[in-house]
Amino acid sequence: MNILTLKNINKQIKSKKILNDITLNIPKGSIVALIGPSGSGKTTLLRCINRLIEIDNGSIIYNNQNISNIHPITLRKEIGFVHQDSVMLPGTVYDNISYGLQLQNIVNDELIKSSMKHAGIDEKYLTQDASTLSGGEKKRVALARAIALKPTILLLDEPTSGVDPKNIKTVEQNIISFTKTLVLTVLWVTHNIEQAKRVATHIANLKDGYIQNFSKTNHFVWEGAY
Amino acid sequence: MTGIPYTWDEGLIILASVFVLLIIVIIISVIKKIGIGKEFTLAIFKGGGQLFLVALFLTLLFNYELWYLLIWILIGTMILVSGYTSAKRAGKMPKAYLITTPSILTGATLALSVLALSRAMPMQPQFIIPLSGMAFGNAMAICSISLERLIREIILNRTSIETMLSLGANSKQALSEISRITIKASLIPNIDSLKTLGFIFIPGAMAGLLIAGTDPLVAAEYQIIVYLMIIGGGLTTSMLVHYFSRKHIFTNAEQLQPWIEN
Repeated sequence: MNILTLKNINKQIKSKKILNDITLNIPKGSIVALIGPSGSGKTTLLRCINRLIEIDNGSIIYNNQNISNIHPITLRKEIGFVHQDSVMLPGTVYDNISYGLQLQNIVNDELIKSSMKHAGIDEKYLTQDASTLSGGEKKRVALARAIALKPTILLLDEPTSGVDPKNIKTVEQNIISFTKTLVLTVLWVTHNIEQAKRVATHIANLKDGYIQNFSKTNHFVWEGAY
Repeated sequence: MTGIPYTWDEGLIILASVFVLLIIVIIISVIKKIGIGKEFTLAIFKGGGQLFLVALFLTLLFNYELWYLLIWILIGTMILVSGYTSAKRAGKMPKAYLITTPSILTGATLALSVLALSRAMPMQPQFIIPLSGMAFGNAMAICSISLERLIREIILNRTSIETMLSLGANSKQALSEISRITIKASLIPNIDSLKTLGFIFIPGAMAGLLIAGTDPLVAAEYQIIVYLMIIGGGLTTSMLVHYFSRKHIFTNAEQLQPWIEN
């Protein structure tokens, strides 16, 4: 069953076509790696799904509902987005992870702690000023911040960029693990083909705004990809 | 003795002697190649010319039976010019005058209304004109700082704002921290002036009253009343800039407007 369906999506920014007739069916519970060179439209696609920008035409169907008919705030709680620059908001790690919950007045310390555990952050960081964290720690806080909202889909834009190379596989394992535990569907943007092979159940290859190839990882034709 | 102790003719001689001093300064700046000679000379003639025009206008106004009609024209001009001038600080933001004009108008009108209702501004042209100039001038300055800083902060913090939106914040929530910083920053010049009032400089209204022979205590009291009202108007302007800007910064779908993206 598909939780997300992209139908003939087009997006142009400043007279440049970024996305061309993108069609994708994302199965529920899958981890779809979006691979492709810089400027191929990967991040733009995630931003369209999160409704941070509007598509020019086509449709994005989430749970049988066109996302243009869902209030953006409601949609963003269900489709979480971890941006490539994991910007820390002013305050502590706790303030960051509880940010989305505070907006809804549903702060729950147990949920915050379990989100931290899923993202692989020790509770000792809770009171630390978030701006003082390392790049990798910020990534984990950004992951915890997103999953605390209990989304059904998670959009991850290069979630291991800035992570210490020796910790990349741990972060990957954390994401795979919480995807299963929390029954999430993940769209994972990466430049790293080896990473895509390690983490994804499906792979979509995006080039010059077109989907070149989309299939299960074990059926994916690597020749000429990316 | 009250007022300035010389006539208009005598004043011209004093003005000429002051000009000799200025010419010496300009010559030195040219010799030293400071590079401000031309601009400085132009500024003196432009500023002096403007002041004489205003003086001629005021002479006409004070002797005109229907002076209040001219005042409305003058205030209308102040509103349009200040709104347009401030809007130029908005960079790529489209139709920024729709933010600046009502913000300045409301802030300045509020300050002037309180002054009028409290009788600090009698309904006479010699009070209305300078106080309107102060209220609109200050509201315009605050509006420009506020808008310019707001746009700069949004462009610098675009990712942070989009992170908050992605976490379920609405535009007001995503902008709250930047608004707080920007409103505070826009009032810094006013607050600093207030702190040093009378210490570093004697402000215009008090200086004018002292020259006219008013009791220093009354002059100081009047200046404080005027200053507080003008700062109140400025704060109103700054807050309104943020309120009106939201629609120009975010779409109805809680997204940043394309002019910020590009």
